[in-house]
Amino acid sequence: MFAQADVLLSLAWHFALLSLFAVGGGITMLIPQMHQEFVLQYHWLDERSFAELLAVSQAAPGPNFLLVPLIGFRVAYWPGALVSLLAFLVFPVAIAFFAGRLLHQSENEWIARLRQAFRPVTAGLWIASGLVVAITLDHTLVPVVLTAGVALLALAIDISPLWWCLGAGIIAAALA
Amino acid sequence: MLIAPISSGLMAGVTRADCITSGAYGANVSDSKKPSLLDLALGFANIGLTSVGGAAGPLRYVIVKQRRWLSDGELAGLFGIAQALPGANAVNIAVMLGDRFAGPLGPLAALAGLIIPSLLIAISLAGIATHFATVNARFAAGEIGVTAAVAGIFIANGTRLIAQLWRGTPDLRAAWRCTRLAISALGIVLVAGLHVFVPYAMLILITLSMIVETRLRDVASH
Repeated sequence: MFAQADVLLSLAWHFALLSLFAVGGGITMLIPQMHQEFVLQYHWLDERSFAELLAVSQAAPGPNFLLVPLIGFRVAYWPGALVSLLAFLVFPVAIAFFAGRLLHQSENEWIARLRQAFRPVTAGLWIASGLVVAITLDHTLVPVVLTAGVALLALAIDISPLWWCLGAGIIAAALA
Repeated sequence: MLIAPISSGLMAGVTRADCITSGAYGANVSDSKKPSLLDLALGFANIGLTSVGGAAGPLRYVIVKQRRWLSDGELAGLFGIAQALPGANAVNIAVMLGDRFAGPLGPLAALAGLIIPSLLIAISLAGIATHFATVNARFAAGEIGVTAAVAGIFIANGTRLIAQLWRGTPDLRAAWRCTRLAISALGIVLVAGLHVFVPYAMLILITLSMIVETRLRDVASH
């Protein structure tokens, strides 16, 4: 099956642009943007698919940015996955390649300052992402309680996020 | 040359002192055998397949403990650069390490290892999840439960980072600490409340944050 060229081009453009803003807190900070564009604006994915891919990208073994090729795959199968992945990687890889060759000093004052400055920004945008994802779920009692419960418990108990995902999934399935 | 210690908060147990004592990158790498393209691909495949909710732990385990490619201090320096650049930390480290150890083909080998095995698993799992969610209502509800947990984890991670920022600077006046919190709060309002285009929100927030941090340094140095 051949995906339409304009869809592939559009995926490439969006993920290349997004990749430049995946600074400080990675892909998590960009989830509200992806939801806005891919679900609400372009209707490439419905709410359920978006939530499903997000759950898989977080709970499956692998870097979290695999959400990008997962979205590409859902929109346009393997061509979509490859185009999305390559578009998301091309600028960061090129920048890291040259930065790695130029920045041999282990710490540079401006990098340290930038990194520090990103921390409150990252914290705020992580929380914003959590809220946006929670809002897109069904507004029934179970998901709301699970989101709030995991938010509180994960603060107190520092274990692999996989356990929270597994526990919440089992509770939600049992109550269905 | 080296500036005051700033912990990344993500690399537990790594101190700036390690960086100073270990010197420039590669200082003790030349002593050992450099990893081949295959070593890079296998090492990063291990990192990819053991990453759940962040690659910092697996990066340290494979690069420092298991394969001894870098010391803790060297990895912390590399991690600092990776965090300040766009793109996933694991990708940036794969590129920089791959190039340093094996030349221009090194990044390709490391990235292939990092991405291809986990991508195949993730796409298979997504297909299986969709199938079961379509035929089984209970599975579909469970899937929503997992996404709810993911949202909760994001909120907890952000809150924990805010707590670290607050506790990590006890010498600062409360007013300055509150300024950092205000930047986080503004981010929440802009993105979750007002649905501002995230790249615009980030540009606004990082500009404000750089002004605050620069000012804080001036205050601290007097």
